Amino acid sequence: MPRRSSFRPNSSRRLFLQGSAAAIAGVALSNCRGGVSDVQSGSQAADSSSPTSSGSGTLNIYTWADYTDDELIQQFTDATGIEVSVDVYDSNETMLAKLQAGGGDTYSVIYPSDYMVTQMVELGLLTKLDQSQLSGLETMQEKWKNPVYDENNTHSVPFVWGTTGLIYNSAALSEAPEDWDYLWNNKDKLSRRITLLEDVRETLGAVLKSLGYSYNSTDPAELEAAYQKLLELKPALASFKSFGWQDELLGGDVLVSMVYSVEGVPVSQEDTDFKYVIPSSGSSVWTDTMVIPAAAPNAEAAYQWINFNLQPEVAASMAERLYLASPNEAVLDLLPEAILSDPSLFPSEELLARCEGIAPLGEVSALYDEYWTKVTSA
Amino acid sequence: MSRSAVTDSRPQSQQVKGSGSLLRWRLTRLIGPSVLLGPAGLWLLLLLVVPVLLILRISLVPGLRPEQAITNYGLDNYLQILQPTYLRVLLRSVTFASGTTALCLVVGFPVAYWLALIAPKRWRNLLLVVFILPLWTSSLLRTYAWITLLRTSGVINLVLSSLGLPEQNLMNTTGAVLVGMTYSFLPYMVLILYASLEKLDLRLLEAAADLGASPNVAFWKVTVPQTLPGIAAGGLLVFVTSLGDFVVPTLLGGPSSMTISRLIYNQFLGVSRNWGFGSALSIVLISAVSIAIALLLKYGDRNPDGFS
Repeated sequence: MPRRSSFRPNSSRRLFLQGSAAAIAGVALSNCRGGVSDVQSGSQAADSSSPTSSGSGTLNIYTWADYTDDELIQQFTDATGIEVSVDVYDSNETMLAKLQAGGGDTYSVIYPSDYMVTQMVELGLLTKLDQSQLSGLETMQEKWKNPVYDENNTHSVPFVWGTTGLIYNSAALSEAPEDWDYLWNNKDKLSRRITLLEDVRETLGAVLKSLGYSYNSTDPAELEAAYQKLLELKPALASFKSFGWQDELLGGDVLVSMVYSVEGVPVSQEDTDFKYVIPSSGSSVWTDTMVIPAAAPNAEAAYQWINFNLQPEVAASMAERLYLASPNEAVLDLLPEAILSDPSLFPSEELLARCEGIAPLGEVSALYDEYWTKVTSA
Repeated sequence: MSRSAVTDSRPQSQQVKGSGSLLRWRLTRLIGPSVLLGPAGLWLLLLLVVPVLLILRISLVPGLRPEQAITNYGLDNYLQILQPTYLRVLLRSVTFASGTTALCLVVGFPVAYWLALIAPKRWRNLLLVVFILPLWTSSLLRTYAWITLLRTSGVINLVLSSLGLPEQNLMNTTGAVLVGMTYSFLPYMVLILYASLEKLDLRLLEAAADLGASPNVAFWKVTVPQTLPGIAAGGLLVFVTSLGDFVVPTLLGGPSSMTISRLIYNQFLGVSRNWGFGSALSIVLISAVSIAIALLLKYGDRNPDGFS
């Protein structure tokens, strides 16, 4: 499932990576299955043999593009003397494929989303966290103390949460979208001026929700109904885009885009003509976490990184710079009222109750993929 | 065997020595080729043949996910491709690729003809370099440039509206994909056609004119048949590369632009993580391309000079 993408500067590089990834997919992936793929991790494997050498070496983290910046890394290096090297991914599945292909001993910290934590625990890819080495978890909000995706945070530390919603051009639209049905009701007016996420779980999930079903429906009849409803909207769609929608939206070519809050909210903060809204019948709500892979090198430094990110001052300053919603009460206490009262970052409890988390689907995911191919090839 | 001539030319003394030294000499004769071809051969074996065989193996495991062990083999993945949904994807890929090939030929032939036969000789190399220059930038950047041109608020629509013409929906269409891919692959076509046209025997055109053929007739009956191998090679190269193109359909295509390369990507890195099906699709793509190349090798280069 392609998940959040970066803000503009990175999206081209990422697409290039995707392009080359596809080009070499067969070769690279098949190599990996043969177990010939630990070329890149050679130097890191050496580190893992001496995990006690903290305060030295390089910490490799694998994360979403929006979750670190130079300032954070500089602060960490100043505080600990550990160099940080950051690789980014744009979907949980890409990250999982890389890990399963033998990259598990390359990275010390990874940022999977909720359902992916569950999946990775089942696959035995994650370290059971040593709670005695973690500090700052006690101020987590109640909801994240024992999340459904990872009981008692045994393997993961909640880092940020957000939603999926619509961002729209309020200067060009007389009526503001409030719910998913807005798109269908205005499909003639919005002809070829809508983009939806190129993400079958989110896009089909949203259509399911608009029909009154669960975001995670596994009922073939409900999925068929959602597929038919999505087909109705196709004439109004410019394209399916998880990344790069910013240009077309800001340029006025597209009027409404379905986006992840972590991407949409910064745009709405930069230009007040653009507003991010969570559809009233509910959407998806997600938590991204920090985890340590089972084969992680330099685990000591990984704990230091996680603890550093848990410090309320550090997290609060990040939240302000990158518009991230923290699950940590101590962080919220430090944030200005303007941010806390922003409903696009902190929606009402009532609305949140109607949102759902993306859940692993097992075998049914093949059906989702089939409908997705149908939608995009009809 | 023609090699015997070489053997005979060796000094007499080597010939009369026992069969042991003959064997040794035969072995040394193998060193040359293996030293010269070894690295490339090993490269091909390790990075092409072995991976393709591994893909083939995975493609024969129904719906294999990366974490699953291989338990049974079957053709299910290939049968799945025969479903209308996936056939439609294949058909779209082939349509995109053939359209691109045709456009490249139509646009590229006059350019190559002009470069090879009409342009001043001393400028030819420079002009050729100028034409290939776009290849020095990433195809991704070139595709992004097309977004700037084609989008609703883009350059083309700006020009149209300043001329009082209505706005056109150019972005996110099949037309946009064809234009973007043609632009990406045109230099290859021009290069190959140029090489082919450059070798054109001008005396044949003079002879045709002497015998009363109009320039038009001479073009179709002399020039085109003589450059047919170049047309076939250029067309195939463009077809094969555009069949697997990922970037252009993703960036310029609309909501209905699923191609086989994107489908393969989705199988490996998408929600279903169906590596078995993805591998089967890859094998189909690899086979289609290999068959096309094999046909070209067998028939494409026949009698390239026409008369010699």
